[in-house]
Amino acid sequence: MAELGRMIARKEVSPVEVVRAHLERVTALDGRLKAFITVCGEQAVDAARAAEARLMAGSAAGPLLGVPYGPKDLYNTEGVRTTGGSKILADFVPAQDATVVARLAVAGLIVLGKLNMHEFAYGPEGLNAHYGDARNPWDRNAHRIAGGSSSGSGVAVAAALVPGALGSDTGGSIRIPASLCGISGVKPTYGRVSRAGVLPLSWSMDHAGPMARTVEDCALMLGAMAGYDPADPTTSVLPVPDYAAALTGDVKGLRVGLLRAHFTDVAAPEVRAAVEKAAKTLEQAGAVVDEVNLAEVVHVPSASFAIVATEALAYHADWMRTRAAEYQPDVRERLRMGAFVSGVHYVRAQQVRQLVRQEMDAVLARRDVLLAPATPIPAPVLGEKTTILGDGASDVRSALIRLTRPFNFSGHPACSVPCGFTQGGLPIGMQLVGRPFDEATVMRAGDAYQRLTDWRTRRPVLA
Amino acid sequence: MLPPMEIDLDTLRRMTRLSGFDWSDAELEAVRPALARALELLARLETMPLREVEPATQYRVI
Repeated sequence: MAELGRMIARKEVSPVEVVRAHLERVTALDGRLKAFITVCGEQAVDAARAAEARLMAGSAAGPLLGVPYGPKDLYNTEGVRTTGGSKILADFVPAQDATVVARLAVAGLIVLGKLNMHEFAYGPEGLNAHYGDARNPWDRNAHRIAGGSSSGSGVAVAAALVPGALGSDTGGSIRIPASLCGISGVKPTYGRVSRAGVLPLSWSMDHAGPMARTVEDCALMLGAMAGYDPADPTTSVLPVPDYAAALTGDVKGLRVGLLRAHFTDVAAPEVRAAVEKAAKTLEQAGAVVDEVNLAEVVHVPSASFAIVATEALAYHADWMRTRAAEYQPDVRERLRMGAFVSGVHYVRAQQVRQLVRQEMDAVLARRDVLLAPATPIPAPVLGEKTTILGDGASDVRSALIRLTRPFNFSGHPACSVPCGFTQGGLPIGMQLVGRPFDEATVMRAGDAYQRLTDWRTRRPVLA
Repeated sequence: MLPPMEIDLDTLRRMTRLSGFDWSDAELEAVRPALARALELLARLETMPLREVEPATQYRVI
């Protein structure tokens, strides 16, 4: 995105040419990949013409003027249907943009289309019974999952159907597809980015954030998205730093805590080795790496289940009474679980949240970032139900969210960055976690790592 | 700690109706395996010493 923005600003390529080229790629490839639910062909070309006029008129342009992107199909888009990946909202056309979509439009970005997702964002596999299962582009033979719930965002960026995307992250839904699809994704601090106009899954766990090839691209998007929004009372009034300026490439003296028990140590051997090697890479560049454990995270599965199940069913209660048959089966079953969580369970879960957050804050008081795998496994084959982790067998769904969900629960910022490939050619992602509202340091570390390695430059073979 | 919840069909029916849902017996039977796992998770919350812990809210507005 950054390079495309520079080329557009230098008038080496026009936004119309860029949009048309991406639309052609979508036409050629998306029948198989199923990254898009809706393609905004004409609107995107019209918006590109407007961006071109803005550029030619010499009006002040940001670094992403004329660059196309795709929002996950749970961001409201004025005049363009927003399905949430569901049949229930198949014909819902919002009257106004989500705050984030509106802010990206002001920055000159162009919506190329709306991206596929797990229905109502309630699943880390990224499956969709209504619009088709997005396909991971890194395996030409087997149908592997893209990870979710922002599956279309992960696939669309990895396959270069769009340079950037918006995802949302309740248990890892930005970082999981970023990890499985070999791209970068940032889950900001809770409160940093407005959720107004974004279909909720779990109000207190949902985060909106960017997904793109590089951390630099994510930083540019986040800078345009973040900040207080009166339409979302949970947003912070803290000023938004210049994230792009924070990407100095320098990690000398940066204190990195490699998360061991319950994180790196439970990952598949190839994932563990890649993350350990990434820690060494950062150390060789001047970072100070130590090993650390977060003991309280063992309680996260119970507590986050109590919170997400309750909040999700609260949002869906009316439809679950009248239109339950229209949900895809796995989502319907997960929603039903919320009926069995008591108020006492919900409050106890919030008490656990306090303990988990306090422990993370204490660990981060002595370190700048924490490092762990983003997912303990690479992309599973569609339909795979169980996997083996370092501490035993696990169902795939639990494994996918195990390392990301603690930071939704706590609200700390985190990003996923590609850090290697398996022998079979599947991407491996690592996760960097920082102090509340310190996305700048998280992204500085991720960007510096990307400057030291070339994993981000690999492309899936799609022909 | 609360005693383990019985998950016979009649209990399920009463719980869901209390929550305002009228799911069929077949639908309730279908969720029983997942519910058994969910109740295990919830039971773990009961074992934790949390009396002195102030519950968090996620809303860390500054």
